Amino acid sequence: MLQLTLLKTMILMGGLSFTTLAISSELVLVVHKDNPTSMLSRSQVIDLYMGKYVAFPDGSKAVPVDIENDLVIRTKFYDSLVGMSLARVNAYWSKVKFSGRARPPTQQKDEKAILAFVKQTENAIAYIHESSVTDDVKVVYRFYE
Amino acid sequence: MLKWFIVSMNKSALLVRLAIVIGFASIAIGFLSSQLFYKLTFNQEVAITQQSLGSLYKTIAATAATAAYLAEKDLAQEVVDGLATNEVVLNAKMNFENIDVVSNTNTFVEPVVFPIQSLFEVDKSIGTLVIAPNIQYIEERARQLAFDNSKAMILQAFVVTIVAIFVAFFLITRPMIEIARALHKTVPGEGNRLTVPDFHQNSELGELVNDVNVLLDKTEQQFTRERKLRKEIEALEKRFRMLFENSMSPIILMEPRGNIILFNVAFETILEKLNLQLKKSFGPLLENLFAEPEKLLGCVELAFANDEIATGEFKLQTSEDSASVWVQVVVTSVVNEDLREYYQITLHDISKRKKELESLAYQADYDKLTKLYNRQGLEKEIDVFAEQQRPFCLALIDLNWFKRINDIYGHESGDEILIFVADRIKKTLRTQDFGGRWGGDEFVLLLDGADEATTKDIVTRLVQRISKPYFLRKFNQNVAVGASVGAAFYPENGVKIQEIINLADQAMYIVKNDRDTDPEKSLKFAHELVTQEIIHVKRK
Repeated sequence: MLQLTLLKTMILMGGLSFTTLAISSELVLVVHKDNPTSMLSRSQVIDLYMGKYVAFPDGSKAVPVDIENDLVIRTKFYDSLVGMSLARVNAYWSKVKFSGRARPPTQQKDEKAILAFVKQTENAIAYIHESSVTDDVKVVYRFYE
Repeated sequence: MLKWFIVSMNKSALLVRLAIVIGFASIAIGFLSSQLFYKLTFNQEVAITQQSLGSLYKTIAATAATAAYLAEKDLAQEVVDGLATNEVVLNAKMNFENIDVVSNTNTFVEPVVFPIQSLFEVDKSIGTLVIAPNIQYIEERARQLAFDNSKAMILQAFVVTIVAIFVAFFLITRPMIEIARALHKTVPGEGNRLTVPDFHQNSELGELVNDVNVLLDKTEQQFTRERKLRKEIEALEKRFRMLFENSMSPIILMEPRGNIILFNVAFETILEKLNLQLKKSFGPLLENLFAEPEKLLGCVELAFANDEIATGEFKLQTSEDSASVWVQVVVTSVVNEDLREYYQITLHDISKRKKELESLAYQADYDKLTKLYNRQGLEKEIDVFAEQQRPFCLALIDLNWFKRINDIYGHESGDEILIFVADRIKKTLRTQDFGGRWGGDEFVLLLDGADEATTKDIVTRLVQRISKPYFLRKFNQNVAVGASVGAAFYPENGVKIQEIINLADQAMYIVKNDRDTDPEKSLKFAHELVTQEIIHVKRK
C-alpha cells in the first residue's frame, strides 16, 4: 500500500513537473470580474478555504470552489496554501463538519466548469492555472509573487 | 525450643544485643530508604506528570487548534473537559480570540501553558491551552507508592532481622552458650571434655572447643602430676612425722631468740618430768631448762664459732627433791630457703647412764660401809688441794682397841663401831673439810686451810666424841674406842702428798706408842717429830 502510494506520488510528481514545464504556469485565485475585491492576502485566502470567514473583505458572502477531478491541481493548491496534503485537508473537514458551522468549498468538475461557475456566480472564488485565466474572471491572489 | 530460646535470651545478653542491633539497623535503613524512595518517587511522578501533560496536549493539539482556529467554543469546551477528566489534570483552560473556555472552577496552581499553533500557517500562535496539574493527586500517588515501598522495606527488614537472629542463634549463640555451660560444669581432672557443636567442625567455635580441650588435657596432666607429687610428699611427711613424734628424744625447732616453732611429744614429756608448763619460749637454746645455762651457751657458742654441731652433756634444772636429769644436747643451726636461721635442738636423756656412772664413781671413791671417802676418793681430793696449792691439814686417825672389840664381839660389831665413828666424823667436820676411811680402822681428815689450833680443836672434839661409850645392842654391852691422830700440814711439812701422808702416819704411831704412857695425848703434829723418831718408825 505504502509502495503503491509512493509510486503514485512519484507519478504525480513526474506529471506535475511535466505539467509545470508544459503549461509553465502557476495557480492563481480568481473571482467574478465584477467582484469589488481586488486583492486578497494569503490569510484571507486560507480563512475562506478553511471555513473560518466565508466572506470577502467587504462583508459579502463568498463561495469557495474546489476542483473535483484534477487532483494534481487540488493537491498543488492546498500544498501551496496551507502546506497540507489532501488527506489532511479531508481529515480537517471531516472533523469540522460535525460542529455544523463551517462547510468545505463547493466542487466543480474541472477548470472549464470552474470558469463557467465563476462567470455565472458573482461571489464565487476559485483557483486555476494562470494560463487558464479569461477575461470573465479577475485574479485576486497569486502564489510566489 | 522456645523455652531454650527464652532461657538463652535471659541468660545471654549476646543474642539480645544482636537482635537489638540488627533490628535497629533494619528500621533505620528501612526508614531512610523509604524517605529517599518517597522523594525519588515524588520527583519521578512529577516528571512523569509533566511528560503525560505534554502527551495529553499532543493528542488534543489538532482538535484544540481547530477549535481555536474556528473559534469553536463547543469544540474547545469538549477539549478542556476531556482533558479535565484525566486524573493528572485538575483543570484545563483554552484561550483564543479573547475567548476563555474553562473546564471547571478549580484554581490554576503551577499551570502548564501550551501555545496553540495555527493549523495552516507556520509559527502563528492562535491561542493558549493551560493545564493545571492535579498536584494533590500526584503527591498522593507518590506517597502511596512510597508507602507501599516502605511497607515492603519494613517487611523485608523484619524478615531479615528474624532470619539474622535465628541464624545467629542457631549458628553462633546456641553453640556458644552450650560450650559455655559445658565449660562451666567441667572440673579439670574429671576427664570430661567439651563436644564440638554440629556444623562447627571447621569453624572458629570448633577451634575454640578443641583448644579448650587441649588446655583441659594439659591441666589434667598437671593435676595428675601434682596429685602424685602431693601423695609422695604426704607419705614422706607421714614418715617424718612418725620419726619425729615417736622419737624418744625431745626435738625442738626454734628461732635463735628462743621462740619455739616445733616440738614433739617427747619434749612435752620431759617438761612434765621437770614440772614445767609448756611455754612459747624457754629462753635462747632453752637455757631456762638447764641447771647451768652458761655452760650450755658457752659450748654452743664455741661450736658454732667453729662451724660445728654443738654437743654436750648438761644437767637440767630440777627441784630439790626429785632425781637429777641429764641430757645430751645436740644443737644444729639450720638455714631454710628464705634465709632465716633456726636452731634444731635434740635432747637425749642420759640420766640413767649418768647415774650408773656416778654410782660407779661413788663405788670407786667411797667406802661402802661408812659412806665416807675411801682411800682413792681421799687421794683425789688431796690431789685437788695440791693442784690448787690450797693449804690444808691432813689428820690420820687410828682407832684404839678396835682390834680387840673386833675379836671379842665379831666383825659385825666392828662394822657397827666403824659406822659410828664415821658418823662422828661427819658431824664434827666443817662443811669445807673432807673425811674418809683410809683402810681398816684408819680414817683421814682433810681440814681445809686449818692451822694448828683449829686442827687441835677439831681433832680434840672428834676424839672426845669417838671415845664416848658405844652401846652394842646385840651384846647389851657398852664398848669404847679411842683414837690416835697424827697430823701434817701442807705445804708447811712438805709439798709432796706422799711425804705429808708419811709424816702424819709417823706422828700417829708416836701417839699410839705413847698411849700407855700418855693416855691423854691423842694428837701429835708432824713438826713435833724428831729425826730419830722418824728413823725409828721407819725401821719399825
